[in-house]
Parts: sequence; C-alpha cells; structure tokens
Amino acid sequence: MRAVIDNDWLTMVSRLILGITFIYASFYKIIDPGSFAKSIWYYHMVPGSLINMMALVMPWLEFLCGVGLILGIYFRGSVAWIGVMLMVFLIALVSAISRGLSIDCGCFKAAADATGSAWRSLIFDIVLIPFLVQLLLTRSRRWMIRP
Amino acid sequence: MVRQAIILLLLAVVLALAVNAVSPNSIPYVGKWRELSSGEGPVIPPEAEEGDPPFIGIEVARMEHDQGEALFVDAREPMEFACGTIPGSINVPFDYLPPGDLGQYFDSTLGVPKDHPIIIFCSGEECDLSLHLARNMQAFGYTNVEIFFGGSREWAEFGEPLERSPECEQ
Repeated sequence: MRAVIDNDWLTMVSRLILGITFIYASFYKIIDPGSFAKSIWYYHMVPGSLINMMALVMPWLEFLCGVGLILGIYFRGSVAWIGVMLMVFLIALVSAISRGLSIDCGCFKAAADATGSAWRSLIFDIVLIPFLVQLLLTRSRRWMIRP
Repeated sequence: MVRQAIILLLLAVVLALAVNAVSPNSIPYVGKWRELSSGEGPVIPPEAEEGDPPFIGIEVARMEHDQGEALFVDAREPMEFACGTIPGSINVPFDYLPPGDLGQYFDSTLGVPKDHPIIIFCSGEECDLSLHLARNMQAFGYTNVEIFFGGSREWAEFGEPLERSPECEQ
C-alpha cells in the first residue's frame, strides 16, 4: 500500500488532476469576481461584509495552489489549502442542495438546472477526494521544483 | 506546511487586490449584500436599482393580505405556483410571458386598473423573477406595484399558510 501511495507516477497524476481542475475553476472567477460574489451570496453562508473579499481572494488561492501542485512549489501548503477548499465546497453544496430541494425555487433563471448542476458539482467534488488523500499521504517529491 | 499555507494565502490576497485595482471588472472590497430576512423590514436584492418598485417585508405583505385589496401575483412557473403559493394569488409566470403585446396580456390577466395595488413575489431571496416581472409591469404603466422579495418562503417561515392546488405533481 505504502509503495502505491508513494508512487511517483500516481502522485503526478493526482497533482495534474487536482491542479488542472483548480486552475480551470479559478479562471472565470478571477475574470468576473462580481458574478462569483453573487454566487456566494446565494448560499447565504458567508456574512455579507466578507463576501466580496472572499470572491476576490479565493479564486487566486485556487489558482496558486493549482500551480503549486503541478510545479511542486509549496507542495504541502497547496495540498492543505486544496483540501480545505474541497471540504468548504462540499459543505456548501450539501447545504445548498438540502435547502434547495425544500425551497422549490423556480428561480436562479432555471431552477431545475441549478439543482442539477449542484448535484453534478457535488459528485465531482467527491470524486476528487481520493486524489487529495493520496497527495496528503504520499512521500513522493519527484518532479517538484521546491516542495 | 502551515508556513507555506500562510505564504500562499498572503500571495493570493496581494494578487487579488492588485488585479482588482486594475481590472475592468473590479468590485468594491465590501459589497452591499443582504442577509437572510429576519422579518424586520423588507428583503432587498443586491441587483435592485434606483427606480425599481418599492420592496416590502413580511409585516406589510401580511397586513395588505389581511386587508384584501391588493392583488398578489406569483411570478414563478405554474407548477411551483400550484405547489404552494400565498392564498388568493394569481400566477403570471415571468419565464413564460407570451410573445406579442405584453401590455394587453397584463391588462387581461390582471384585470385590475393601472393604479390598483399589486404585490409581486416568487419563492424568496434566490429568486429574481418577481423583480423582473415588477419592472415589466411598471414599464407598462402599472403605478402601484410592490415587490415582496422574501416571497413564499418568508411567508411560510412566519407561520402563514401556503395554498396548494390539485395540479401540483410533487
């Protein structure tokens, strides 16, 4: 088991999957923080005064940690943040879905669609967790610039 | 690991502030966002603009409902309307407005004079159909339009009954 977890290639695959996902996810939020802020507001989980700062900083954290994973720069810190963010998204999505189903809101422009995409995001989030666990445990430091 | 995490966070903050300072899509550092309604005063959505119809809270909505004069209009789609709306409301689903003369459609569907009090709502904070419908009615000359943005959710949250019709398939 240890040998599998420490495998350089497996570690590289996990780094690429999580890294590319986070960099990709950060782009539209960095370009359009206003829309992202509104998305955060819809969850009703963050105090109003903090929403804009969160909408500004979190995408850059996603981007930096994604780059950190792929290039192996500040690897441990990047893995830690990505773990925290995956958990935050998980909690937010579960809470949104549970409330969304009871709200039966025809809103969000397309309600059915919004709930569907929350489910898809939740499943995607869960699929990423094993890769995160592997990176938390691995001792591989191959192909890293400055772990 | 903690040291790296702190450095990454600081770097993200610096980048975020620097890019936001020059970005064409920059946003203020502290935005005007409404919290979930506590029942004190109306819920006003962040996208509300100058010139929008006034927003009312649960107390005013309840009072007007008791008085029975105002026409309550549910802006959601018919199935949601059927599955739980404020009693006595009529349904004008914003997403299914017919093509053609909207003014005529409003006049025939609402069946009230232009200055009759009208209260528009949908399901609550996440829903902006009520705002869009209200803007449209205002544009077609209805002068006494109010938006109950807390909607059916705030209505139910404060102990008021919702009306369900047999067409509801949920």
